[in-house]
Amino acid sequence: MSDGTLNASAMRRGSFASVLPKLAATLLMLVLAAVWLGPLLLIVMTSIKSNAEFLAGPFALPRSPTIQPYIDVWFGLGFGTLLRNSLIYATAGSALAVTLALVPAFALSRLNVPGRKWIFGLLLTGLMLPQQTVLIPLYDTLRTFHLLDTKIGLIIVHGVYGMPLQVLILRGFMTTIPPEIEKAAYVEGATDFQVFWKVILPLSVPGILVGYTLNFIAIWKEFVFGLVFLNSEENFPVTVGMLKLNSDRYLAVFNLPAAGLVISQLPIVILFILTYRQISGGNLSGAVKG
Amino acid sequence: MASSASRFDDGTFVGFARRHAFVTVFGVAVPLLVFACFIGYPIVYTIYLSFFEWNGMAPQKKFVGLANYAYLLHDKYFYIALVNNAKWLVVSLVFPVSLGFLIAYVMKARLVFAPSLLRTIVFFPVTMSLIAVGLMFLLILNPVFGAFDTLLRSVGLGFLVHEWFGDYRIALYTLAVISGWAFTGMPMIFYFAGLGDVPKETFDAARIEGAGHWRMIRSVALPQLRPVTAIIVMLTLFESLRAFDLIAVLTKGAPFGMTNVLGYLVYMESFWNSRFGYGAALSVVILVIAGSLAAVLLGKVLKGAFDV
Repeated sequence: MSDGTLNASAMRRGSFASVLPKLAATLLMLVLAAVWLGPLLLIVMTSIKSNAEFLAGPFALPRSPTIQPYIDVWFGLGFGTLLRNSLIYATAGSALAVTLALVPAFALSRLNVPGRKWIFGLLLTGLMLPQQTVLIPLYDTLRTFHLLDTKIGLIIVHGVYGMPLQVLILRGFMTTIPPEIEKAAYVEGATDFQVFWKVILPLSVPGILVGYTLNFIAIWKEFVFGLVFLNSEENFPVTVGMLKLNSDRYLAVFNLPAAGLVISQLPIVILFILTYRQISGGNLSGAVKG
Repeated sequence: MASSASRFDDGTFVGFARRHAFVTVFGVAVPLLVFACFIGYPIVYTIYLSFFEWNGMAPQKKFVGLANYAYLLHDKYFYIALVNNAKWLVVSLVFPVSLGFLIAYVMKARLVFAPSLLRTIVFFPVTMSLIAVGLMFLLILNPVFGAFDTLLRSVGLGFLVHEWFGDYRIALYTLAVISGWAFTGMPMIFYFAGLGDVPKETFDAARIEGAGHWRMIRSVALPQLRPVTAIIVMLTLFESLRAFDLIAVLTKGAPFGMTNVLGYLVYMESFWNSRFGYGAALSVVILVIAGSLAAVLLGKVLKGAFDV
């Protein structure tokens, strides 16, 4: 956390010149908090109003909160199926991405693989590739294997496209493990597999959890692949199913779409609260610097 | 990072593969195979397809040479999308990136109370899907029940009220700013982590010389954070080339294609107009832009940032 190293005003504490930046910064923070928190609070407020109450005062504090909008939008959009699907995609897709990335991360961080710079660079291009440019061939490939409009097809695509970031994160994490530990294992005659399985893997669990969580959120947010590779509503993830909210039927009164928004984000809010320290702690930049 | 096992290696790949069969198979061969099937082959196939005319269903693709590219050079919508991508990028670099830096600096300098609260609030939208963000702002910017227009009117700025998604002059900026709102947390945490890595002495020295915050930012923080800035600029570049979700949920390119960006135009031409060959040609343009930007950035600015 901050240790106040930037505290330029420390030398002149108490003078007007030192109060001014603080005042300006506090003002800025209030404005920013309003800009970032305001829309979210308004949506939550709107979601617990009845139609009549919303029409009477769209911005007033809710006087008689109701969960009716949640019930209506839940059945209207079939949120049960949507949430279940997103959960399947995010859970399985992230698991596949991490699994694919573990041994490459081990190889690129601990071993002197010839040409590892090229291998790593190649995998990183997967990070930078705009997905829209490969939609047509992927669509074609999935159709060939009869995986179009199937859950398993989308899981594979998510897993493969999640892998490069997982290699980056896990490699960054594994380089921080001191080499002495595995040296001892090698001296005892352990094989690469034993070192990976018994030494590196257990020590990498924190890194794996961070990578898995970030991938989970990324798949939960993902939209393009789901939109293009799926046709049946029973396979839609939340992001694709929610498009229906932008229609006259749902936009007549705002409490239903607001409730839908809250439902769609709720699982991630829970995950966010549980893992906030880990995912926002600059782990990504740490991975980049290796 | 060389491990002890590597002292037996003779430096060639065959020598390595003999000694490290497990790693060679699962650490090198499998990921490269997966890469080839799902990333390499699709790129090659996209380039190949850009020389054909194909409706996506017909068994035969018709070879048309460079016709798709010739058409592209005269396509009004291609140029609109290209310019829109540039505008989107400029908005993204100005708004979320510089604001993200400012927030990180203000928090690190302890100029505000409860800095971690502000950090959490600004970071939260990074975890939201852009579909949810888009729908949220559809409600906020609604002309009748929307909070934003009402707020403008109540503080006497009613003349600023617009059709935020309908006015062809500003719709694209509306989308780009919404995207910036959702993205600001990203540069913020990168800069926050970067500022934590700057040696304490560097700032102490500047402080003893009596540097104020403005000088501190300009002559100490920004130069020290140049690698972080390079990474963020690259992230922003690719993020803006990917722009799709907000357009799909909010405007679908309307009004008059004025909110189209390349990433959305590809989708429209391929999957709505069934012009897969032309869609592939547009994809190649995106790939060339992304590839050359990546080459420049990786080659120059980011030298060393991704060293293995």
